[in-house]
Amino acid sequence: MKNQTLRTLAQIAVATSLATASIAATAAQTNTDGNVVVKAGKVITLTGETIENGTIVIEGGRVTAVGKDIKYPWDAEVKEFPNAVAFPGFVEGLSNNGMDRANENIDVAAFLNVKDSIDPVSFYFEDALRAGITTINVQQGKDCVVGGRGYVVRPHGLTVERMTLRPDSGIVISAVPKRGKTRATQALALRQAFGGLRMYLEELVQEKKDGKDYATREALYQGREPDKDSVKGRPMGGNSWKVENLQMVPRWEIDEKQLPMLEVVEGKVPVYLYCDEPADVHTALKLANDNGFAKRTVLVLGPECWKAADLIAKSAMPVILTGSMKWTERDPVTGEETETFVPGVYAEKGIVFALQSGNSSAESLWYQAALCIGQGMSREAAMAAVTTIPAKIMGLEKRIGTIAPGSDGNVVIFSGDPLSVTSHVVKVFLDGNEVYDRATDTRMKHLSTGAQPANTASSAELIEEVHKHDDPVVEEEEKIDAGENKKDKDKGEHEEGDGHDHDDDKDGHHEGDGHDHDGDKQGN
Amino acid sequence: MLFTVLSLALGSGGLAAMPVPAEATTVFADRIYTAAGDVIENGMVVITDGKISAIGVAPNGERKEGELHVAAITPGMVDLSSRNTNMQTVEETTEVSAQYHVADSLDLFDRSWGRQLKSGVTTVVANPYDNNCIGGFSIALKTGGEPSLEARTVKADVALRGSFGSQPSGKNHPARRRPTDFYSRRPTTRMGVEWVWRKSMYDALYAEGNKDRAFDGVEQLLAALNGEVPVFAQAWATQDIRTAVFLKEEMAKEGKTKMRLIIDAGAEAWRELDFLTRTGTAVVLPPFASDGRTFDNAFYARDCAAKLHGAGVPIALSAHNDSSPGHSLGDQAAFARSGGLSFDAALEAVTISPARIMGIDRRVGSIEVGKDGDLVLWNGTPFELTSSVVGVVLEGELVVDPR
Repeated sequence: MKNQTLRTLAQIAVATSLATASIAATAAQTNTDGNVVVKAGKVITLTGETIENGTIVIEGGRVTAVGKDIKYPWDAEVKEFPNAVAFPGFVEGLSNNGMDRANENIDVAAFLNVKDSIDPVSFYFEDALRAGITTINVQQGKDCVVGGRGYVVRPHGLTVERMTLRPDSGIVISAVPKRGKTRATQALALRQAFGGLRMYLEELVQEKKDGKDYATREALYQGREPDKDSVKGRPMGGNSWKVENLQMVPRWEIDEKQLPMLEVVEGKVPVYLYCDEPADVHTALKLANDNGFAKRTVLVLGPECWKAADLIAKSAMPVILTGSMKWTERDPVTGEETETFVPGVYAEKGIVFALQSGNSSAESLWYQAALCIGQGMSREAAMAAVTTIPAKIMGLEKRIGTIAPGSDGNVVIFSGDPLSVTSHVVKVFLDGNEVYDRATDTRMKHLSTGAQPANTASSAELIEEVHKHDDPVVEEEEKIDAGENKKDKDKGEHEEGDGHDHDDDKDGHHEGDGHDHDGDKQGN
Repeated sequence: MLFTVLSLALGSGGLAAMPVPAEATTVFADRIYTAAGDVIENGMVVITDGKISAIGVAPNGERKEGELHVAAITPGMVDLSSRNTNMQTVEETTEVSAQYHVADSLDLFDRSWGRQLKSGVTTVVANPYDNNCIGGFSIALKTGGEPSLEARTVKADVALRGSFGSQPSGKNHPARRRPTDFYSRRPTTRMGVEWVWRKSMYDALYAEGNKDRAFDGVEQLLAALNGEVPVFAQAWATQDIRTAVFLKEEMAKEGKTKMRLIIDAGAEAWRELDFLTRTGTAVVLPPFASDGRTFDNAFYARDCAAKLHGAGVPIALSAHNDSSPGHSLGDQAAFARSGGLSFDAALEAVTISPARIMGIDRRVGSIEVGKDGDLVLWNGTPFELTSSVVGVVLEGELVVDPR
């Protein structure tokens, strides 16, 4: 018996050492040590200077030096891009993508955490790299009253832990009516959420005073355990309202549903506060002021909220702009249409704003910034709104958004001006490791040229095969038949399983004109 | 009146600086992209009585107060697939309605014309809605000006419009359940759509030699078969593009060698370069789709425009009536550039190339003396998302003022 155990242990040891060896070998091949020197024809640092023929030295995942003709270790791996532009990468100030589902059904769900929902292999992250985005603040969606906590991640890595730049990066509160609620019930639910927190805390204190240990027992029952930060009680922080004698309650005994809310009131976590319409802004600001988190609030605004710009400017809160950049409105009486360029209003009022790119990769951050310039905004302001400002909103300005000594080793190599439609992302380095290469991006190749990976249904070789029958010397009738049949077959495989069913007549489900085309781009 | 004769204009096709006339619309720009083969640095365009009367290098010296000076000028853009027509613009009681003219059902007071105009599209081709196999005649018209067909028409009956693919059969169903419904009819499939096309063409062929067999729309079909008007057919997917091209070749075998074919929304045309070049077919491309997925499951590769242009297929871009920033026709030219189309080809694909395809290039499509005074004024290099249309001149009138 003992012998057997020993043998097993030995086997494990051998297996482990083999595994370690293979990991090390992979590391050597793909350079995952975070050490690299990037040279580019132009380095846009976003710290105020643009360096021609610049060099960026990244050691241990951090930028250690950037400049022209600077020294670097003799044995460093050097990547040279003499005709390309090095850029710190775009920063997505808030995104509801990359998750399984962005909303939970419960009104107040501060115990949720997007960590449990982020899907590291989601196409969204892959697409983000393609669009030159190096940092994403993933937050819950707006269909809630109080939502879960978000994570700031890099769009690369096989686990959420490897992707994470900052855990628990904020909490979501929504002034937008949750599905099934009106503005009034939403406002009520918001007030009740904080009122409920207050009542809960007061009750806890009272129980302690009465010498009851309900909270301790419940905490143990739920499997919670104290750690060194939570074993003791602390007086309640914050500056709006306080529950006296909260220090009597050890923090670990406070319910998971209520603790994040308490941290909000104490001003300890950033709050992403959603508003869709100007009317929501008032509700949102009042809530933030009444509950003491106004200084930690970032407003996430729908396009129409520009109408409340004065109110927002007075609040001095930074904002993240979602949705369309142009607000079109028709006068109900005269029928006259007026258009408002939304970011322009915020710029004019001196409000700090970041742009956000929603969920379409075609309308990514570069596109948002470029459109702003087209609408007359300065290049610096537009660029800042997709890089340094979102970084600052997250409190990560020292790490991301610029290429400077001390910042994370994130470098995106663009073939030209990052905001030009003709430029594309050539390579991406995250923390000094190469994580994207356009040359090996088969999906990009498919999107840009239609090329299919080899041996798939409609790869180029098979199409060639079909075109053999296009030879004009073939007898005409035959040619048509051969070409069409072969093509249909090919096409059939290509379309298989995408749910686009043209022969639903046979199952007799036809009702009037009920032929819906998914993906209909016809307009009208 | 300023009347300064300048030294020779260098590097701009030998155009001499010229005086600025008093009674005319004059626009100055750092660069004028004429789409007629040259770019004029520091140029000016003069429009008199709605027509371009002079193009040249601007006189040196101080800019005058109130002078209209922009970063760039291009010709007014042309969109062959304006798509601001609706179900009211096709007669759905029959699948072939060649005798109808979409012009009769256009609402010139609709706001979408004005939006298109504002986005720099000055000329469009309005087509019958694609719910019929052969819908009727299209019309080329201006997007602004006095709201009457007389004032706006560039060319009436500019093409015979039709559609392949799933759309024309989309509403139809076999005579089951509700047999009284007039949608219980053919075609209900792609092959049915093709059959309707072929049948109407052969019916027209037989009727040509035999007056007894005449039917409504026969003249119009024959006009198309004889090449008097082009056939302008929607076909997104490769199989539909093939169907259209094969039909043209089949008609050629029947002696109708002059029939002209223009494919609309040919997202998958990049797969069919040989067919298109050998039949001289022109292609109008749909708006950019980031994931490549378009109508009828057609895969729209980003380099489609570049590939077609490279193969010598005449191309035009279209915004399908989207004039919002980032989606307008100018932006489509930008996206075509991102797919590898050169700047010059992108410029042509939204100006002179569509004008040539529809045979309206005598009036519109480029900045040349004698053509309509339609100009788009830009605040930067055109066809970049960092630039936008800031002004529009329509037949000499400044309809969108950048100042």
